[in-house]
Amino acid sequence: MLKGHLDMIVLAALSPGPAHGYAVIESIRRLSGGGFDLPEGTVYPVLHRLEQAGLLSSRWTTAPSGRRRRVYALTGRGSRALARQRAVWERFSGAIGGLFRRKPA
Amino acid sequence: MIADYLERLTSRLAFDPALARAVREEVEDHLREAAARHGSDEPAAAERHAIANFGDPAAIAAQFAVASLARRARHAGAAAVLMLAAVFVLMQARLAWYAATQWPAIGMPELGAAVFAIDRYAFWAALLLTVAGWVYLQTRGVPAMLDTRYRRELARFALLCSLASAALIASVAGDAILTCLRFAAAAWSAHFVVPLASLAVEVACAALLVSRIRAMARTSSVLRDPRRQQIC
Repeated sequence: MLKGHLDMIVLAALSPGPAHGYAVIESIRRLSGGGFDLPEGTVYPVLHRLEQAGLLSSRWTTAPSGRRRRVYALTGRGSRALARQRAVWERFSGAIGGLFRRKPA
Repeated sequence: MIADYLERLTSRLAFDPALARAVREEVEDHLREAAARHGSDEPAAAERHAIANFGDPAAIAAQFAVASLARRARHAGAAAVLMLAAVFVLMQARLAWYAATQWPAIGMPELGAAVFAIDRYAFWAALLLTVAGWVYLQTRGVPAMLDTRYRRELARFALLCSLASAALIASVAGDAILTCLRFAAAAWSAHFVVPLASLAVEVACAALLVSRIRAMARTSSVLRDPRRQQIC
């Protein structure tokens, strides 16, 4: 189930602002309260794929350690895609919540 | 330890050297940062922990490879559109040149008319197939892993591209025959350089398109066979 929503999760993690891969993974872990425990390496192909789809942009910077670092940011298209996915998710979770709140007869 | 891991990961991406280089730098930055933040006094243990959390290099390389294949497919589609536009402009420019220099009519009009018809229909077939392939590709999503559905979609796109290339090659061959017929009707002069140069560019366009499609097919075959993925 997590894999099916990985694109949305990564886009959401980048919504506060640009970040490099490690920071994106940390953000996902922190904001999900450790609920999303996936191999860290699986996030990078997703970042590349979303960039190819025009939902993210990237640029290389220099980290404080002196290493080259790739930083990703949401594009306008990415922000709109995230807003759409968020609306769909909120409708879906609201509907499921309504079903679960119903008391058994 | 990190160097070994990077080697295992990027050796599986050797079919796309630019991707392999970018992945190496990006993943190395991640692993070094993860090891530095681990807080262990023993660097080897910190590196081991960072690598374990990162995941199986074969599985991650396969996910990168799908993105690479999708990019190559898009490049092949874009190359087909650009090459067709270039061939069309060159054909029109050559005809304008013949008119401007009052080039003599083709010596064998029946043969010329037949070749011209083949040339024209082959070009429009190439255009239709390219547009169909381009629209088909743009309406497909790229999955996280290379699944059967995506393989089938890529195979259909490759077929459309291959048919478009074959039609374009037929059109360029028709252009070459028509140019030869034009040359046969005229005395040699410096005016020959322009049609010859435009024809050479047309041949180069067709060759470039074929090479793009072959690169896509090569990546696809590497992904189908994991043993080749390691040694390629």
